[in-house]
Amino acid sequence: MNGVVQVKTGGRRGGWREVLPVLPPHLEELISKLPGHILDRLEEIRLRRDRPLVLGAGGRDFFLRRDGQPDTRPDGAYRAAGEDLDKVIHNISGASVYALEEELRNGYVTLPGGHRVGLTGRAVLENGRVKTLKYLSGLNIRIGREIKGVAAPLMPRLLDMPAGTLHHTVIFSPPRCGKTTLLRDLVRLASDGVPQLQYPGRTVGLVDERSEIAGCYRGVPQMDVGVRTDVLDGCPKAQGMMMLLRSMSPDIIVSDEIGRMEDVTALEEVFNAGVRIVVTIHASSLRELANRPALQFLLQLNIIQRFVLLGRSRGVGTVEKIFYGNEIPRRG
Amino acid sequence: MVKLMGAVLLIAACGYAGWNISRHYANRPRELRQFMAALQMLETEIIYAATPLPDALSGIAARVDPRVASFFRQVVQELKSNRGCSAREAWTGALEKYRPGSDLDQGDLGILNSLGNCIGMSDREDQGKHLRLALEQLKIAHAAAEETAARNVKLWNYAGLLGGLVIVLALY
Repeated sequence: MNGVVQVKTGGRRGGWREVLPVLPPHLEELISKLPGHILDRLEEIRLRRDRPLVLGAGGRDFFLRRDGQPDTRPDGAYRAAGEDLDKVIHNISGASVYALEEELRNGYVTLPGGHRVGLTGRAVLENGRVKTLKYLSGLNIRIGREIKGVAAPLMPRLLDMPAGTLHHTVIFSPPRCGKTTLLRDLVRLASDGVPQLQYPGRTVGLVDERSEIAGCYRGVPQMDVGVRTDVLDGCPKAQGMMMLLRSMSPDIIVSDEIGRMEDVTALEEVFNAGVRIVVTIHASSLRELANRPALQFLLQLNIIQRFVLLGRSRGVGTVEKIFYGNEIPRRG
Repeated sequence: MVKLMGAVLLIAACGYAGWNISRHYANRPRELRQFMAALQMLETEIIYAATPLPDALSGIAARVDPRVASFFRQVVQELKSNRGCSAREAWTGALEKYRPGSDLDQGDLGILNSLGNCIGMSDREDQGKHLRLALEQLKIAHAAAEETAARNVKLWNYAGLLGGLVIVLALY
């Protein structure tokens, strides 16, 4: 029953087209002249003040020469000037730095299309907490990946047919194994429904604390998260789950990166309300999962029925194993 | 007969010239009030809603006098058409285009210009401070403008007509 399911990846192409307009015109032109196979796999554009521009594609990085040719050596590469960074900031904020306050505090900005820009600079503190960033010195423009259909092979295993909804599901993996991508597609399928499986689709409440799943731009999801999905964008998970529970009467509540005790306490409330949950957790094995106090408590509740372990053994997003609730070793 | 027509024409012309100058004095406080109202709205937009400038300014343009609105529309247009353009560039550019048709004097335009130097460049708190400073300065300018208007509007209206009359009498 627990075989390895290979996930087919058919990445969304052309994401770079939505991202390039935030760059200054000369850089946009330089990058858009790259060969198509690189552009289609473009993942990151990194601008560091007074240092060479770095592009990431297909898991590798390279520099860009002044004539637009990709190069693996940094000498002769295009160097990002302070002015370039300023222009990008002006473009993403609509020339209004004050509008980015919250984003600067979090260190990233979401763009239309669900792409995001990570920011570094000098932190300005107030009462020991980061108030904002100044002297922005590094930008990482990450092109969002929305891979429709990655969760489809999983659906039959996660559906609770008699109840006509999903099982309580935990997706766990080491970092960068495609948890969020899988979760996004799972949300879409859970919300839209899968006619082939006689699953009609359920109301989904999504707490997207880091705007990574739905990639909201001004509150509107930029990724396809399904027709019956309500997104609480930028909301702390524990609070958000309670809010959704009370206000939107969801059938399934979804959240990313559960780990703290308050998250688990909120999950318990969700269980009590008879609402199904789908969450992701950072952990490379069940043992590691069970060793974290908050999650240990979650396991003891004995309510999660499906544990999906992702890995990269056959590429990012490989489903290595699906554990069923009754197979989980529990401690006293 | 021709003489009489010439006299009437002369008085009308002088009267018009005087009225034109007085209108300039009367318009300045009105324009300043419009700008004050606009900046007040901008302050609310920035401090409470953190609305980005293009949205905030188009909203304001829809709610003020057409002439003042043309300035804000121009800023929005410059921001949108010119990628990577900072708010300062857009603001000063628009102000330069607005200057010829305006009744504001150098000092008033200077207040707006120095506001343009910091608009959109810092956090909300700081933006609030700059906007409030500009508002205070405009308020003072407005009081002065009202005073000059009270003195000069009637003066120039009469001066035009009477000046025409004097010339007519001298020529007759």
